[in-house]
Amino acid sequence: MINLSPVYSEIIILLFAVGLPAIYYLTRSEKALSIASLIGIIAAMIPLLIFYIEGSQSMVFAGGLLRLDAFAVAFKLVFLTVALYVTIASIRYVQGERHLAEYYSLILLATLGMMIVASSLDLITLFVGLELASLSSYALVGFRKADKRGIEAATKYFIIGALSSAISLYGISLIYGITGSTMFADIGTALATLSGMDPMILLAIGLLIAGFGFKVAIIPFHMWAPDVYEGAPTTITSLLASSSKKMGFVALFKIFLIGLIAVKADWDVVVAVIAVLTMTIGNLVAISQTSIKRMLAYSSIAQAGYILIVLPIGTEYALAGGIFHIITHAFMKGGAFIIVAALSTVTLGESLADYKGLGKRSPFLAFSMSVLLLSLAGIPPLAGFASKFWLFSSAVDAAIVPEQSWVLWLAVFGVINSAISLYYYVRVIKYMYVESGPEDPIRVPNSMLLAIAITVVATIVIGIFPSPVLDLCREAARAFFSGM
Amino acid sequence: MLENVPILSLLILIPLIGSILVFALGNTRKAAASIALVFSAIPLALSIFLLLDFHIGATGYQFIEKYTWIESYGIAYHLGVDGISVPMVFLTALLCFLAILFSWDVEHRTKEYMGLMLVLEVGVLGVFTALDYFLFYVFWEVVLIPMYFLIAIWGGPRRAYASIKFFIYTHVASLAMLITIMALYFEAKPILGYATFSIVDIASVSGNFNYLFQVGAFAALFFAFGVKMPVVPFHTWLPDAHVEAPTAGSVLLAGLLLKMGSYGLIRIALPTVPDGANALMPLMLAIAILSILYGSLVCLAQKDLKKMVAFSSISHMGIVLLGISTGSQLGIAAAVLQMFAHGLITAVLFMMCGVIQHKVGTREIPLLGGLAPKMPVAATFMTIGFLASLGLPGMIGFVAEFSVFVATFDAYAWILFLPIASVAITAGYYLWALQRTMFGPLTDKIDTSHVHDVNWYEAAPLAILAILIIFFGMFPGVVMDYITPSANIISAILGVG
Repeated sequence: MINLSPVYSEIIILLFAVGLPAIYYLTRSEKALSIASLIGIIAAMIPLLIFYIEGSQSMVFAGGLLRLDAFAVAFKLVFLTVALYVTIASIRYVQGERHLAEYYSLILLATLGMMIVASSLDLITLFVGLELASLSSYALVGFRKADKRGIEAATKYFIIGALSSAISLYGISLIYGITGSTMFADIGTALATLSGMDPMILLAIGLLIAGFGFKVAIIPFHMWAPDVYEGAPTTITSLLASSSKKMGFVALFKIFLIGLIAVKADWDVVVAVIAVLTMTIGNLVAISQTSIKRMLAYSSIAQAGYILIVLPIGTEYALAGGIFHIITHAFMKGGAFIIVAALSTVTLGESLADYKGLGKRSPFLAFSMSVLLLSLAGIPPLAGFASKFWLFSSAVDAAIVPEQSWVLWLAVFGVINSAISLYYYVRVIKYMYVESGPEDPIRVPNSMLLAIAITVVATIVIGIFPSPVLDLCREAARAFFSGM
Repeated sequence: MLENVPILSLLILIPLIGSILVFALGNTRKAAASIALVFSAIPLALSIFLLLDFHIGATGYQFIEKYTWIESYGIAYHLGVDGISVPMVFLTALLCFLAILFSWDVEHRTKEYMGLMLVLEVGVLGVFTALDYFLFYVFWEVVLIPMYFLIAIWGGPRRAYASIKFFIYTHVASLAMLITIMALYFEAKPILGYATFSIVDIASVSGNFNYLFQVGAFAALFFAFGVKMPVVPFHTWLPDAHVEAPTAGSVLLAGLLLKMGSYGLIRIALPTVPDGANALMPLMLAIAILSILYGSLVCLAQKDLKKMVAFSSISHMGIVLLGISTGSQLGIAAAVLQMFAHGLITAVLFMMCGVIQHKVGTREIPLLGGLAPKMPVAATFMTIGFLASLGLPGMIGFVAEFSVFVATFDAYAWILFLPIASVAITAGYYLWALQRTMFGPLTDKIDTSHVHDVNWYEAAPLAILAILIIFFGMFPGVVMDYITPSANIISAILGVG
């Protein structure tokens, strides 16, 4: 009998994902769909929480292709939490649309793909998970068939996504050709014993950076992101920004910090430069945006730049900081997009000017948006400050070693960029509280308020009491580096 | 009798509770203002308690509270006060209470206004009592948010520009501090053998840091705190912020927020990286003199009364930096006294700018004139404030400036003639402004028929401040007794006699 316990959560999600159309066929009720999805997501969290609370040992599954450890648990919890609040927010956002069973089912399938990526120990497994998540998201982006913008976004997303998959697959095949393995650990060992420079490795690294660079939308592979984020249904934008992108980072961490760590000298400066460019260009372009969705999309690009500094630093401390920032970012950015979604249900536009006077029209939404934006900017005592603090401090920490001292610049650029970003985040707050606009109060659906409240409370609580999350991140980072 | 009462936490907690109550219950102007007044009066009473219960002359920190906060990184909720922080805590509680009282008639969004004033108080009190870098930084940044809103919502016509400029400028400075804090943490960790963000623990080993590291760290901290003070050339956010801020906002900005900068220098930068401080003393001296002279010369050219007072703050904070740049016992103690004095005096000045704006409708000096017969009480307070600020003997401003100058002469001898020249300039612009606004014939450029004197809620804070200015001017020893022992410790760390 195979021990299925390492993949309990995946099995639960899979069962619910394929079961949803059947449930709809039997009940003909939209409500049943969302409730079933929520039950599925919460049920899938339980084995993970038990694993974490009991402090269980890592468990390997499928002949070493998947492993459940603290790292995987941390990310699976992130993905499931995002799925949870996106589903809650969707209840009213997509009410009355066609193919709702498929909508919820695709959210679950995308989450399943991400969870596989989090557990993967092997390039092929990782690729399979990644594609499952990507294909589901392409469909979700184009979910509103009548919406021209959505269709354009979906097409763009699909073409870019397929291209980037092909590029990364090419990189993967080169790595396999050089090292004779697709397992991260074996790749790492094989590269460590390799003597001298192999131009093939450089080519493979280049292809992997490009391929996965598209997935996480780092400069210069970011062009699609603002259009897709803007065109997608906003709940799905929230999903893309908060979890789909984070899955891309999991892949980057695994490939670069385990598979390619032996040849770090070949890529660390390049990745560092990309990180700095990504945060800087993302922030500078965000300043000039007039659509809040595009502004948030560019800010997401900038935030990806911050997280990317984990790779060139490459320490356990940095990875813990990166995971921490990924977790907090999932709440902050996800929450911000859901506020935009909530406001669009009451036909408030998506341009910044539409947010004028929101402080009077909906004190709760304006307050929530302010908290999330200030947190994104890294103002204490909110979660975004705590996570940026650990992320940037890891660069200062690593810079104490003389030959690594150049990474200090990553922290310096990080904080300079934080200051730049403050400008456009605060501008939204200014629109909401300082400028006057229409005065009629806004009522948004309660389910969306609940989803927003989850993200805001998490942002404040993690900011003030970061210890539990931080410990989870440290454990995750330790598990990541040990025994791969 | 108070050993077991966490008085510092209470000081911070009570305004916080007050702000929550204001947001929850302050639906009318009166309710909001009353709650705010009560919840800023309690910290004031507590701070007086703190003054009385403080063991003068005892070295080290008192009223220490320490609880683990983020264990894995050695971050603690660690509060404590010494002779330098105690006067600042008192000043904070006093000015917040008076500023709220002075804002009694704010009618535009009173609830938010009062709530934010209390949040601001929480932040400033936290800065003056935190003994953990992480906590210190959190409070430091918390201060920015309410001040941003105070300027952005209740400010003058260019408030949007001024508030964002204020926020970003001071945030950039904070970030320089943040990186330095991280660097200090990682440098101290191997020497201490454990991870801690404790300001005290890190300072206890930081003498061993490499010389270049110390110079770099001090330069970064000097930038961070210098922007906040502000010193030339990092001052440009200040006139904008001041001119646009509502009166109470200006009072707290000049009275407290600027002090955070000089307090940071004294509490953190000097004792933590003393070699760096010693190396950069000449730079500090040069910037201090530049700020003093530049600030006072620019004042001469101002037409807007409030802008003049704002620039005079640059000059007066330059005197604080001058005291610090001597590194001597007297210099540091005098700098702290000047911080205290400037807090009291500048509050009167900004309140007077507010009164004139409010009653007359303009602060343009050329349009004003001969207001004294119309508003005799206001004219009295304005005269007291201006005379105190220009350093008239008998008032606290004189004692503080004089002590700084003595320390400067001691340390740098004849260089003193440069900063001391500002005394004459300062007297010039204050007397000239007083002459042109309050005295002389009544102006015919604006309609002054409806101008009347100050209301009770304006007169009361002005009177309290005026009394304190004169009282501490007569008995400066009362404050100096608190400050001197702690200042001595810092100058001993610097190795300056």
